[in-house]
Amino acid sequence: MKHFSLKQGLSALLLAGTAITAAPALAQDSDTLVIARSMDVNSLDPSRAFCDTCQFYLTAVYETLVTLDADNKTLVPNLAESWEVNDDFTEFTFALKDATFADGSPVEASDVVWTFERLKNLKGSPSFLMDGLTGAEAVDAKTVKFTVEAPNAEFLNKVSAPYAGIINAEVAEANGAMAGEDAAEADKSEPWFLANSAGSGPFTLASYSPEAELRLAKNDAYWGTAPAFSEVVVTQIQDAVSQAQALETGQVDIAMQIDPDTAKSIRSGDVTTEIVPSFNFVYIGFIPGAKGMEEVLTPEVRQALALAIDYDGMLDFTVGGNGAKQAAPIPNGFPGTSGLTPREQDVEKAKEMLAAAGAEGLKLTAGYPNDNIYGVDFNIMMQKVQQDFAAVGVELELKPLTWAVWRDELGAGEWPVTAIYYAPDYYGSGQYIAYFAMIEGFPWVGRASVGKPELVVNPAEADLYAKALATSGAESEAAYTALGEEMMKDAIILPLVSPNLVLAYRNDIEGVRYSACCNLPLAEITRK
Amino acid sequence: MLAYILRRLIMIPFLLLGVASVSFLLSQMTKGDPLAALVPERMMSNPDIVNAVKAQWGLDQPLPVRYVIYLGNLVQGDLGTSFSTRRPVATDIAERLPATLELVVAAMIIGTVMGLALGLLSARFRGTLFDSVARIFALIGSSLPIFWSGLILLYLFSVRISFVPGTGRLPPRVTAPPDVTGFYTVDALIAGNIPLFLQALSHLALPAFVLGWAVTGVITRLVRSSLIEGLSLDYARTARAKGAPERTVLVKHALPNAMIPLLTILGFTFAYLITGAVLTEAIFSWPGIGSYAVRAAASLDYPAIGGVTIVGSVAFLLANLLTDIAYAWANPRIKVH
Repeated sequence: MKHFSLKQGLSALLLAGTAITAAPALAQDSDTLVIARSMDVNSLDPSRAFCDTCQFYLTAVYETLVTLDADNKTLVPNLAESWEVNDDFTEFTFALKDATFADGSPVEASDVVWTFERLKNLKGSPSFLMDGLTGAEAVDAKTVKFTVEAPNAEFLNKVSAPYAGIINAEVAEANGAMAGEDAAEADKSEPWFLANSAGSGPFTLASYSPEAELRLAKNDAYWGTAPAFSEVVVTQIQDAVSQAQALETGQVDIAMQIDPDTAKSIRSGDVTTEIVPSFNFVYIGFIPGAKGMEEVLTPEVRQALALAIDYDGMLDFTVGGNGAKQAAPIPNGFPGTSGLTPREQDVEKAKEMLAAAGAEGLKLTAGYPNDNIYGVDFNIMMQKVQQDFAAVGVELELKPLTWAVWRDELGAGEWPVTAIYYAPDYYGSGQYIAYFAMIEGFPWVGRASVGKPELVVNPAEADLYAKALATSGAESEAAYTALGEEMMKDAIILPLVSPNLVLAYRNDIEGVRYSACCNLPLAEITRK
Repeated sequence: MLAYILRRLIMIPFLLLGVASVSFLLSQMTKGDPLAALVPERMMSNPDIVNAVKAQWGLDQPLPVRYVIYLGNLVQGDLGTSFSTRRPVATDIAERLPATLELVVAAMIIGTVMGLALGLLSARFRGTLFDSVARIFALIGSSLPIFWSGLILLYLFSVRISFVPGTGRLPPRVTAPPDVTGFYTVDALIAGNIPLFLQALSHLALPAFVLGWAVTGVITRLVRSSLIEGLSLDYARTARAKGAPERTVLVKHALPNAMIPLLTILGFTFAYLITGAVLTEAIFSWPGIGSYAVRAAASLDYPAIGGVTIVGSVAFLLANLLTDIAYAWANPRIKVH
């Protein structure tokens, strides 16, 4: 019988070691752009999707009528070469460019009408973009006209959202998509959209494996300027540290979710990191309609609690100073925010107000998702709130919950304080009013009041909102500023931090930027 | 023996039906919003969307109706559609299970070979420096949390010295081999693509080692203690008295007896790792069934929870069966009926 010697064994081990140390495929000179990301895809159907990953996927594959310029403020032509709006912001007419879908067929007004009707009738997550749409008409093959029931100066901004990307109606219909009023029940095309695409963008969907890989291929028939890469691969890498490691080794070109602390740990000279302000924010919300809180969590008490928070300390505590304070639940840089001043801590005044309200020794509970969003650990954030409340004599019990349980308890008034986050769907302040304003029937009225809207409704806000939507320019901006001030008076939503964003990429990559509507515009990225 | 195996195999579908029922009822009774994965948080207050989604996914039906529908689909092999991925659960599992199996098989091979070798040598050189070093190595492997050892080894071997590539099953720029077994290493070999095989192997090496190291710890300690116990028993003394060298006593007499508890541990560990390699999968971005299971549980994705439970149950049932068969093979005194 043959016996292996120690020497032979070691040689075999060495050989095996050499074999597995095959050099990783590095980024340089590759025609493929690789992006590291923890993907949160909930659909790849533009009319159903609603997630951060969806934003840049849809932007790359489908195209909107208008889009947001790199200044993150100005709407510029995309599929529409021009548009007209009537004086009262109820009619919007778009003239289309001579664009084509990836299959070579022209983008026509009928496709736009079909897409918007489907978006509305599918009752999917982004269907709110078409709220108030009463008419959609293909005037001719290249002209499309939309009518909304009430003035809506933000309609143009809404159609710049990636979810309003135009779909090739013929291809989609052939694969089970429906746009009629029964689309919510009749449309069976979602599985098809997970493996195929029908847009006019610079890329097409090549393949998708959930939580593993999203692969885009260059649209060879693209009607505009061809993208620099023949392929884009979004690879699932869960945490910031692993993403940074993949970036340092050259395994990926861009890492999308690196927090400022992790960015500091990157030592490779081949990596560029830029810290830029984001339009995301995290906030705490008060729920005066929670059990036993009707007489307790009054506007005065809420204002006192708002004054108790050390906002500067919160910035340091949660994101190491890499963020900004935010006055109202409208992100800094959005219309109407330049005239708003963030709150400052005033412990003495908070104590006085609590004493005047007879709320000394107040005990509250905060139920919130046990999560880390945009680099903010909610447990750490809420511990800071707990400390600040304790300084004014308010005891805050923390109740971190799993996402599903938090959602279950949210509408039940189990606790009077919660915390969550918001990222924009498009550039425009109206979306924040439609969500956070204390206007009867609006989402946060339901949450804060738990069925007793009289506790929180602010009558001034409905008129201001109507005015903001019926005007433009400085007049509209002034209305949003006034709305921001009113929401600060409501003290239902207290923005705590707007965390900065880290753009981290290999040095040979250019064109990486953060977009308020579209997250990361892939078609603008090139390799030096 | 064959009749015994057939009896056990026939029992499996009935056991699975029971497991599926318990899993379905428990997950439905778990506190949490069943729409967590279906309706984004911001749309929770929109009754149009909520009602449409409930109707689309059958969540507007009473629990008994949903249960009957679920079981009806299940007996036809339909595990349902995942709330999160919006794809058939069977497709998701078929896509992810080979990745986990490849990782777990590699980890079990590494863990078993290292554990057996270290256990044997530790027992042979009991009380020496080698014994101490081997035991410390084993102890570290089984004590270190994988999220720590994984990240540190990844940083050391991938970032600092570039000994192995980073995360994932293959470099992102590389296309997977044609699917035959789902094991990228094997499929690359079948395709005759040696460079691709080496890339798949290099990606597999570190996560398999990290997971295998944890297994090594358990096996080393078990083998060492079983052998030391065996070496003091009558049969070992007799063998020595008959002039057998210590190596022969160890390998030919003590080791076969140590295999019995080892087989139990191996079978159980293998089955456990099928759904329990979550941390390794997360750190190494390994698209396996463990991370799928965690995500399903966290988002109350009932169909996915059911699917993963069935896969885990099958793994345990088969592992138990194989362990029992291996028992009979390893120890002729054990009879199966």
